Amino acid sequence: MKTNTLWKDAFKRLSNDKLALVALVIVCFYFLIAILSSLGFVASGWSQEVGASNLAPSMNHFFGTDIFGRSVLLKVIRGTQIAMSVGVAASIIAIPIGVILGALAGYFGGWVDDIITWFYTTFSSVPNIMLLISITLILGKGIFAVYIALGATSWVTLCRLIRGEVMKHKEREYVQAAGAIGGGHLRKLFRHILPNVSHIIIINTSMQFQIAIKSEVILSYLGLGVQGEPSWGTMIDDAKLELVRGVWWQLAGATLAMFLILLAFNILGDALRDALDPKLKGK
Amino acid sequence: MKRLVLLFGGIFLILCGCSKERNFDERELHFISPEKIVGFDPIHASDMYSGNEVGKVYEGLFEFHPLKRPYELMPNLAESLPSVSEDGLTYTFKLKKNVLFHDSPAFKDGKGREMKSDDIIFSIKRLADPKLQAKGWWLYDDKIAGLNEWREKYASQETTNYSDEIEGIKKIDDYSFSIKLKKPYPQFLYALAMPYSFVVAKEAVQHFGKEFLNHPVGTGPFILPVFDQSNRIVYLKNPTFREKLYPSEGEEGDDKLGLLADAGKRIPLVDKIVVDIVVESQPKWLSFQKAKADLLEIPKDNFDSAVIAGKEIAPELKSKGIRLYANAQLDDTFFAFNHDDPLFKNKKLRQAMSVAWDRQEANKLFYNGSAVESQSVIPQGLGGYRKEFKNPYVKFDLEMAKKLLAEAGYPNGKGLPSITIQTRNETVARQMIEHFAKNLEKIGITIKVGMNTWPELINKVTKRQHQMYTMAWGADYPDAENFLGLLYCPNSSPGSNGSNYCNPDFDNLYKTATILQDGPERNIMYEKMNEMIALDMPWIFGFNRTKFYLSQAWLKNYKFMEFNHSQFQYLNLDLEVKKELIKKF
Repeated sequence: MKTNTLWKDAFKRLSNDKLALVALVIVCFYFLIAILSSLGFVASGWSQEVGASNLAPSMNHFFGTDIFGRSVLLKVIRGTQIAMSVGVAASIIAIPIGVILGALAGYFGGWVDDIITWFYTTFSSVPNIMLLISITLILGKGIFAVYIALGATSWVTLCRLIRGEVMKHKEREYVQAAGAIGGGHLRKLFRHILPNVSHIIIINTSMQFQIAIKSEVILSYLGLGVQGEPSWGTMIDDAKLELVRGVWWQLAGATLAMFLILLAFNILGDALRDALDPKLKGK
Repeated sequence: MKRLVLLFGGIFLILCGCSKERNFDERELHFISPEKIVGFDPIHASDMYSGNEVGKVYEGLFEFHPLKRPYELMPNLAESLPSVSEDGLTYTFKLKKNVLFHDSPAFKDGKGREMKSDDIIFSIKRLADPKLQAKGWWLYDDKIAGLNEWREKYASQETTNYSDEIEGIKKIDDYSFSIKLKKPYPQFLYALAMPYSFVVAKEAVQHFGKEFLNHPVGTGPFILPVFDQSNRIVYLKNPTFREKLYPSEGEEGDDKLGLLADAGKRIPLVDKIVVDIVVESQPKWLSFQKAKADLLEIPKDNFDSAVIAGKEIAPELKSKGIRLYANAQLDDTFFAFNHDDPLFKNKKLRQAMSVAWDRQEANKLFYNGSAVESQSVIPQGLGGYRKEFKNPYVKFDLEMAKKLLAEAGYPNGKGLPSITIQTRNETVARQMIEHFAKNLEKIGITIKVGMNTWPELINKVTKRQHQMYTMAWGADYPDAENFLGLLYCPNSSPGSNGSNYCNPDFDNLYKTATILQDGPERNIMYEKMNEMIALDMPWIFGFNRTKFYLSQAWLKNYKFMEFNHSQFQYLNLDLEVKKELIKKF
């Protein structure tokens, strides 16, 4: 008899969820745009003038133009690239930190756990935005500082979840069996336990991603984020002055783009959790 | 029943708390400072915004007449204008009597003592103290006999000995002293009217130590016991302020404008001044709209809603009694190069960058077309400015820019690293650089933006950690020397020459010209320097701006003033008008 693995099962579950599929399509679409933009296929001419200053949306300029007559649509697309790259980079930095620290704390317990727990509790007690601002101030401003700042601040939740899960798993029979046939600590931890908690990483990443995007927008709005490139944050910063004159399209473009991706990630994150977390199965 | 009473009582209290009535009985004025304040130490008050705050608490020997134009100095802490020796080198000053410092724990019994000539001498020494690295040192550098020697002597020593006398500064008695200059320095009295030279008390400096910049103790019309670095500064009328009267004469026409209505009255005329630090334009505009500010420089994006056809005030504002003032500024905006950077030794590159910038478009986008393109460093309105002079590199010509860039050794920008321009952390400042960057991209130059808080920017420039930066310089006193000095080599960072530009020919002329008395001869020299330096493009010249202000109807005695740090004490408030008009807000 053919049995379904957790992953197959989860995939089936996910494909039955129409809303989640739509969200997945949106996320893929954003990724596609970001990749195309970073390869220079779309929006490479964002800095070119396409018309007069502050033109309202029309058939020619879908989202209108900004103060320098640049296309707001292209800026939104370019901003998408920045936002998605920040999400990816922050995840790449945060996941290894969170997973390794969480796994070590959960598996070894004792003083290792004490130290790591103390570390992340302290870390998470500092308001995130303060931490972000101080890191970008130290590293200097720019996109790399944003990557590192967001990566370095967003690993705490993942670390906590992994720690708890590893604690649960380390006493299970399959781990004991691995120990009985001579597996060392590292083998038990990374070969046996981690694959069994990896769904947490996936769920968490989809949640982290949107936090990273939001934080990038906030930092750029405050002038601490990307410099010299359009970001949704700087667009909103521009728009706050222009709104008085009735120039609403830059704000609309940036917030619409942001709204869609955040909503999609939220729905997808929920669906992934339903699909992957056995505890919630059937609920 | 008791509970019911409590309940109703509670609701009543809550309702009272909700309908917060604004109190219009207090004689208080509200202003907005668009930048954070560096602190209340006069010797560091290098920017206009800090100078404005320092000027409410501290005073100098002289001040600019609030009404007379062209600007005229009048004695303030000094009894009269000084007597000057025949060779123009020795100035003898007499001080007013019964001028008291603010009450402060720094003094015995907490009571402010009388200001005497020792305090003036102490304040000048503080400016020269090498340990303090005063931002205003350039004003006195190489001017007073023995002061530079005194400064150098203590540069290498552990502590500065303030009781060590300076050759050129002599105390005659408690109310008079003399200063001997090294060479004629016609701007000397202007220097004494600037916030840098405002008088501090030795006791306060010693008592507060490093915290002195947060505990201003001056002789001025308003007091501020503690500056807590928050975004609201509340000054109270100084109860021990001497008898100082509102001037009874001004410029022609001031009488008609009602500016002399308070003539002969004792100042300050209000009990309280509240200054809110609001960096963003939109909240500034809104708080003026809600009558939470009495004076406002119109933010660029609100220009169209305030001014019609570039000159008339909008009817909606007019109906509330709001008045409009348009004033050409004595100022320069510029993109400064740091000439320490070997890249900018290349004159053709500097010229190419200037020619590639579409100033006309920038003027339209950022100043609503109201600014004048600077041809060189001296702004219009000062001696040395010649209307006919046109800088061949202040124009927009992409072909010429490309040609110059090729001649500079970077055809189409090849081989040229990207250039970072530091600026303030503010939307319009960023947009200006973006506009500049967009223009320069067309000839292949990549410009990046660096955003900083105001103190961070000043710090970078002072420590020479910048490649380029943007700044606006407003006149400190009505003499072109004040602008030419921005490019004088010995004024390099930490002095006012933040671009660290050095040109020996220019420096020589500067040395000769600036010791001449005001007159046609000096103006001709200024013109020569101005036009000589224009071709060298030490900066990318920007604009001389026109500033547009709105004032509420109840703000009395306001007249635009370029050097306005001492202006606030003369302002008045018409409470009746305010109570009446406030209903319309």
